[in-house]
Amino acid sequence: MLEGRYVRNQETLTDQDQNKLLASSVAIVGCGGLGGYIAEELARIGVRRLVLIDGDRLEVSNLNRQIMATEASIGQWKVEAARDRLQRVNSEVKVEIIKEWFAEERGTDFFSEVDLVFDALDSLATRVVLERVCHQLKLPLVFASIAGWYGQIGVSLPGDFSVLRLYGHGDRGVESKWGNPAFTPAVLASLSVAEGVKLLIGRIPALRRAWLQVDLLTMEFERFELPSFESI
Amino acid sequence: MRVTVKLFATFRDGRFKVEERELQEESKVLNILEPLNIKPEEVAICLVNGRDVNAQHLLKDGDTIALFPPVGGG
Repeated sequence: MLEGRYVRNQETLTDQDQNKLLASSVAIVGCGGLGGYIAEELARIGVRRLVLIDGDRLEVSNLNRQIMATEASIGQWKVEAARDRLQRVNSEVKVEIIKEWFAEERGTDFFSEVDLVFDALDSLATRVVLERVCHQLKLPLVFASIAGWYGQIGVSLPGDFSVLRLYGHGDRGVESKWGNPAFTPAVLASLSVAEGVKLLIGRIPALRRAWLQVDLLTMEFERFELPSFESI
Repeated sequence: MRVTVKLFATFRDGRFKVEERELQEESKVLNILEPLNIKPEEVAICLVNGRDVNAQHLLKDGDTIALFPPVGGG
């Protein structure tokens, strides 16, 4: 291990926390705007293993926001470009790539020996499926989504159904019209990783049974509750 | 009756952030959406006093309605 690599994690993370991260395995579903930054931050903070899942290749329109995209990497699999970059950042992280779209029946394979899953997808319907699969496998899920100046992020633990309630209606998100500028995925990815790290080191996440509504136009961050069905 | 309507994300574009509305008794969430030119299927989640409801939900005086479009990009 490179001596001093994690020195600036200290105090925020205890040695015990860092060791938990260094033993942890995380899957990121979707390796675009959100997933790229999430992977970057997890590699830098020091997790043991990253599983990147995305069936897409890089294209020119990804350059405005996807940290793994460079002019030279256009046409490459997103997960391959991500792995190449991550290995240069932190060769001590084991990066596994899956060049496939997420599918319900593949969950058990994809999430073998995984401790935490990040939803960085761009399809409302697949988000709902991913939550169901995570719950079946008793895995915690951090979800985030973006469109234009706006984003949402939260944590779903087995039985919560936060994703179903937030994304279960409507077939298409407003991002199809409003696009995704550079800053929104970076902000939402960072918020996701902050929650994910808490889950990995055994601290209480702030956004369980809730979501944070992020508005970068007005700079308002507002929390909304999603109380369990039983209490409604 | 009087209710407070809060719009979020792209719903604010060309509309407002928060406004009070005067409604007839027995009004539903649907009756808020129509004059705003928002179709029920464009709403990802609607909270009335913090609880998620559908467009058929009956409103009462003093309710706060929060409307969110689907934000699904990654």
